Amino acid sequence: MTEKEREIVECMRRELGSDLIDAKTPRERRVFLRIKPTALRKAVNALKKNYSTLRFMTISAVDHGLDFEFLHHFHVDGAVVTLRSVKPKEDNTLESITDIIPAANFIEREITDLFGVKIPNHPKPGNLILTKDWPDDKRPLRKPLEGELPPQARPVAEALISTSCVAPISRYMERKREEAGLPKTSSFAFTNEKDMKEFHGIMKDTSLSKKVGFDWKKKKLRYR
Amino acid sequence: MVKYASFLGCQIPMRIPSIEIASKKVFEKIGLEAVDLQGYSCCPEPVISRLLDKTAWLATSARNLVLAEELGLDLMTLCNGCYETLLEANEILKHEPEERQRVNDILKTYGREYKGLVNVKHAVEVLYEDVGPEKIKEHVIKPMKIRVAMHYGCHLYREPNGGDITRKPNMMKELTGLTGVEIVDYGLERLCCGYPSMQADEEFSLKQRLLPKLKNIKEAGADAVVLTCPACTIQFEIGQILLREHGIHYNIPCINLMELLALSFGIPSKDLHLEFHRGPTSQLAEKIEGGYKCLK
Repeated sequence: MTEKEREIVECMRRELGSDLIDAKTPRERRVFLRIKPTALRKAVNALKKNYSTLRFMTISAVDHGLDFEFLHHFHVDGAVVTLRSVKPKEDNTLESITDIIPAANFIEREITDLFGVKIPNHPKPGNLILTKDWPDDKRPLRKPLEGELPPQARPVAEALISTSCVAPISRYMERKREEAGLPKTSSFAFTNEKDMKEFHGIMKDTSLSKKVGFDWKKKKLRYR
Repeated sequence: MVKYASFLGCQIPMRIPSIEIASKKVFEKIGLEAVDLQGYSCCPEPVISRLLDKTAWLATSARNLVLAEELGLDLMTLCNGCYETLLEANEILKHEPEERQRVNDILKTYGREYKGLVNVKHAVEVLYEDVGPEKIKEHVIKPMKIRVAMHYGCHLYREPNGGDITRKPNMMKELTGLTGVEIVDYGLERLCCGYPSMQADEEFSLKQRLLPKLKNIKEAGADAVVLTCPACTIQFEIGQILLREHGIHYNIPCINLMELLALSFGIPSKDLHLEFHRGPTSQLAEKIEGGYKCLK
């Protein structure tokens, strides 16, 4: 990392504080700043305030199945600086920066056209490259809301994370077990609050639940 | 007395509890004390978690291994999938300090630490090595006069440190033979039953994996298939039902080694609740008890 990249990272760290999640400089004249999606406009304003030579390059949108990744690319004193933010697809919005950087106008509308992402504060919304009567639900680059798992594996992953067991017990099986002289269920973690909290803690401490797209509030996958 | 921490896994207690019942009765007869782990979780299942997140797999397995460590007992599994998952996790955690540290950093939040004190064994190994075929044979009072085909299951071939992969299948075959059955060879013993591929391609799984086995087993004249893996058992039983939708009809009973041993020990089939099987296992047992000899 040269002095220039180091200075950009330090500047943005000061400006964004905890809104800057991670900073990477994989090679000379390249800076990636992972930011909280709520801090996008704050980050763009900070770049504009601190670098008079700031030049907006473009925005890349990537549909990862469960999440959208937005990459706002800027040229800053010979280096390319990318603001990287990730939003769940259920949110389906991107904050416009057109009022700060007017050149972002067309690319933001193109993202709406191709991915169906809404940009609520855009000064002039509307189709740019698609026809005016293009159907909202058929966006050329938008993928279905899906994680990495094939459909048949989804109930197994959901059962594993939510219950600690891949074969959740039914009331019928509980009754049949009792009729056979067995306890209602085996001594699984889900039979004890402390054990279950511990198991769920491990699931949260690792990235499995994130990778499969598990919704901890609803206790099920974000898709089926 | 031989004593182990018993890891039942998910499929046996939740889908085929007759294996749980049979194993308890067999262990009692042969003097093997199996202490159920309290608060255990899925091993975790060997496909999804291992492919998607190695640390989640190792941390979940480590927690189960720590439960056995806290009892001061080695761990015994009845399920082939649990065996492989826990055995391989144990090997990695014992020999790769970085992985062990990463896992222990997670476990310490919950007041636990993996120390690498336990060994993982399949019930087949425990019966063969710790109890012994001679002692088991002493309890066989009703030899089973039937022909059986063996399905060992892929995970039973897993052997750490480049060992002989046929070691446990050979033990399983010998233990099966103690019950008086005639074991028929059908040439496709090593072929996977298709259970894991059901999650990716059901038709491939049924027609390219299960069906060739069923065809050969029937042609070899077997009255039943002997298994140790509950997942393979589910694949054989549900698979035969699903194949009917393709106009292919088989009705071959599946029996777990523990159930077969229990029957040969003279335990009545009604006490084993073989009705948990989704195939004609109860009918097979009733025929045997009624004096029906499948062997010609």
